[in-house]
Amino acid sequence: MVGSLLLYGCSTPETPKDLLAPTDAQLKIRSMQTRTFDVTDRNAAIRGVIASLQDLGFIIERANEPLGLVTAARFAEPNYYDVISVTVTVRQDTKNRLTIRANAIYNNKPIDDPKVYQNFFASLERSLFLTKE
Amino acid sequence: MRIGVCLTSLVLLTGCVTHTEPAELFQLTAETPKHRAMQTRFFETPNEKELLSASAAVLQDLGFQVEESVREVGFLRATKERSAREYGQYIQRALFLVLSLGKLLNPVDLHQKIAAGLITRPLNQAATRQEVRIVFYRVVWKGDGQVDRQYIPPGQQYMEMIWDPEIYQQFFAKLSKAVFLEAHTI
Amino acid sequence: MAPLALRHTATHGAVGAALLCALLIQGCSPYESRHQNQWNSREQIWLSESSQLKVRAAQTRVFDTTDRRRMFETIISTMQDLDFNVELLDEELGIISGKKFIEAEQSQGTDPTYLLYRPDTLLLLTRNIHAWGPFQHRSNLVRFTATIRIRGESQLVVRASAQFYLQAVEEPGPYQQFFRALEQALFLHGQSVE
Repeated sequence: MVGSLLLYGCSTPETPKDLLAPTDAQLKIRSMQTRTFDVTDRNAAIRGVIASLQDLGFIIERANEPLGLVTAARFAEPNYYDVISVTVTVRQDTKNRLTIRANAIYNNKPIDDPKVYQNFFASLERSLFLTKE
Repeated sequence: MRIGVCLTSLVLLTGCVTHTEPAELFQLTAETPKHRAMQTRFFETPNEKELLSASAAVLQDLGFQVEESVREVGFLRATKERSAREYGQYIQRALFLVLSLGKLLNPVDLHQKIAAGLITRPLNQAATRQEVRIVFYRVVWKGDGQVDRQYIPPGQQYMEMIWDPEIYQQFFAKLSKAVFLEAHTI
Repeated sequence: MAPLALRHTATHGAVGAALLCALLIQGCSPYESRHQNQWNSREQIWLSESSQLKVRAAQTRVFDTTDRRRMFETIISTMQDLDFNVELLDEELGIISGKKFIEAEQSQGTDPTYLLYRPDTLLLLTRNIHAWGPFQHRSNLVRFTATIRIRGESQLVVRASAQFYLQAVEEPGPYQQFFRALEQALFLHGQSVE
């Protein structure tokens, strides 16, 4: 009995069939995470994302212009046990419209609280339209 | 034994910090404008590349090593690794060790990485004015320790945003000199 | 009677001394004791201008050339000669950065975690994942950055800075060696900046 328990513990777990499939939970939050903006300048939008993340006290880890990707992270201060990381992508849909998507992760779990994304986009809008003259 | 338990629980209690809601961390605070003002200057120039190149040179002058540069979005990151040991922490560690009768060995700070993340951004459509924003922060790694029978492995880290105005003033003073332009506050 | 009392005192004294020794050396593992101790580690944030002054001259050379591309290529090949891994290369901004590991000390046996150790790239903010790497192996890491800036109409200023053993390299010697190698490869003589 003990032997079989041990054997069970030693075998590789079966690969779940939906390991790489999007979950329902993910589909639900995708709309929360995405906003479109009537902005033509993709580069300015990426910079706006970086500026707003800096305002929010995030540390920019990666920025990639051709892919329109920004990764940032911060501790959930004053608690240094929890980390929030954010991946933002900026995609040009048409000449006059961009889609910005923010994936926020709290430790290892994706955040599904809509307020988080509302707050983020509120701060982002401020940064984006700061340069409009 | 009782003193040990008392001290241990004291140490553990201080580790019980308030839980911050993620939504709060995505909100601008009352401090944000003040921090932004400290971290940002603007320069009347269309030459963003020159600002970036000069910034790298200034950071080098301040002892930093440039680690990443993404010119297309005006992003630079530079770091400086130094020892984070402090006499005070060793004294405290020895004291706790004695008071807890050998049960409590605090991890001490060993290694720190002081980093600067810099962004340049055109401020107007004509791009005749550039904004430079730099953020200084540091990450500290601790060594190992022991609490009773529990071994605390090394590598625990904490991060600190640097809010002292001197380093920002020093950076912008040098940058201003390097590009022969005045650094205007926002 | 007396000898017994004396022996007691002696024992207490020995224990006290042992305890004191233990307290003193428990903060001094071989790794730790070789790194700078200070009252306030935050002071490292600021650079001491005095030490910078003396090394700034050694770190900088002016070359009478405007061929930036060639300067770039030569610095890269010099770094390669010195076994550096060039990691950051930005020709337009004039920045070259690299690192290498040197065996400054005899390593005791092989440490398998060393092979898994990824020293840097990103600031890894991880929860509860203690990064084992940093301590024992930071000793071997040398980081190097070179910047190339245009001066006036006809000159280039090259500045090199290095970091080793958790400190900025402040002796002029290593920089003189680097520039000697660079000048040989360039067939140009670099002037010091006053």
